[in-house]
Amino acid sequence: MDEVLDEVVPTEDLKKYEKVYHEQLNSGNITQKAQFEYAWCLVRSKYSGDIRKGLILLEELFHTDKEESKRDYLYYLAIGSARIKEYNKALQYVRGFLQIEPGNHQVHDLEVVIKRRMEKEGLVGVALTGGIVLGIAGVVGLAFALAKK
Amino acid sequence: MSTADFKVVLLGSEDVGKTSLMKRYVSDRYHSRPHNNTIGAAFSSKKITSRGRDIVIGIWDTAGSERYYAMSQLYYRDAKAAVVCFDLTERVTFDRAKQWVTELRNQEENCKIFLCGTKKDVIDEGIKPRAVPPEKVLQYSKGIGAQFLETSSKTGENIGALFQIVADSCELPMQKQETIQLQTLKKKNNCC
Repeated sequence: MDEVLDEVVPTEDLKKYEKVYHEQLNSGNITQKAQFEYAWCLVRSKYSGDIRKGLILLEELFHTDKEESKRDYLYYLAIGSARIKEYNKALQYVRGFLQIEPGNHQVHDLEVVIKRRMEKEGLVGVALTGGIVLGIAGVVGLAFALAKK
Repeated sequence: MSTADFKVVLLGSEDVGKTSLMKRYVSDRYHSRPHNNTIGAAFSSKKITSRGRDIVIGIWDTAGSERYYAMSQLYYRDAKAAVVCFDLTERVTFDRAKQWVTELRNQEENCKIFLCGTKKDVIDEGIKPRAVPPEKVLQYSKGIGAQFLETSSKTGENIGALFQIVADSCELPMQKQETIQLQTLKKKNNCC
């Protein structure tokens, strides 16, 4: 199950989708498809700088794209955050997702993987306190954004 | 990084039941309620005994929705085998399966292809008829040199058999390779 957090995008794929994105950026018309595919590669990069860039692109998509696409962005926001060890944030995204689709096994599985990593890295205590302080506003906000549909 | 001995990718149209197939195989469970669409690709693994050896088979369950089409390529490239799935009661999913096969054969000739017709229970229970005559599917699968199985994730029919066939045929070349290497080593030893 850890594969979803460990798989690394091949450089040639990242470059391929980066090129498409930049071409569209230069022409002033970026499609959501190109932005998503590029962001999807970025959050699976081995460099945290790439992942952070991917997270920014995904957040932007989350706020601008249609409601039914938001679940995909939330999922990859969780993946990207977990990969740069921002586990609390990752769990917020996971919980926001599960408020809307409580029975989603794929996201439940992701939650298990993230929690296991936190345990391994001795971050459980931090998760509990930090999660509560940071979590409420974030999760409610996400759930609200999704529930609007 | 990965604990799987080799990876298999599940490909096919949306709603043919790729996730149900994986769930039935990996955890022997089946949910009849509607499934949430898979996002990107989900991963599971399971231990299996093939040719007397315990191995771990890793399964990438890809999203069937067209938005993830380009991304599925990244998963089959990494896979030793692809199980191309279609719904036995939906003609259009068989046509899509054929497209996947063509693409795989053009792009990844080393990826072994298996054809899987899903939802056999729907036909057996008389809920819906077959969309493609079985002899046509057989003829097609023979033509591409791929094995074809009809499965039901609801009843579990042929699920274990499918992955056993996949595992056995993926194990074979590796063993052959090992034998060849051993023989060469032996030869060298003899020389010196």
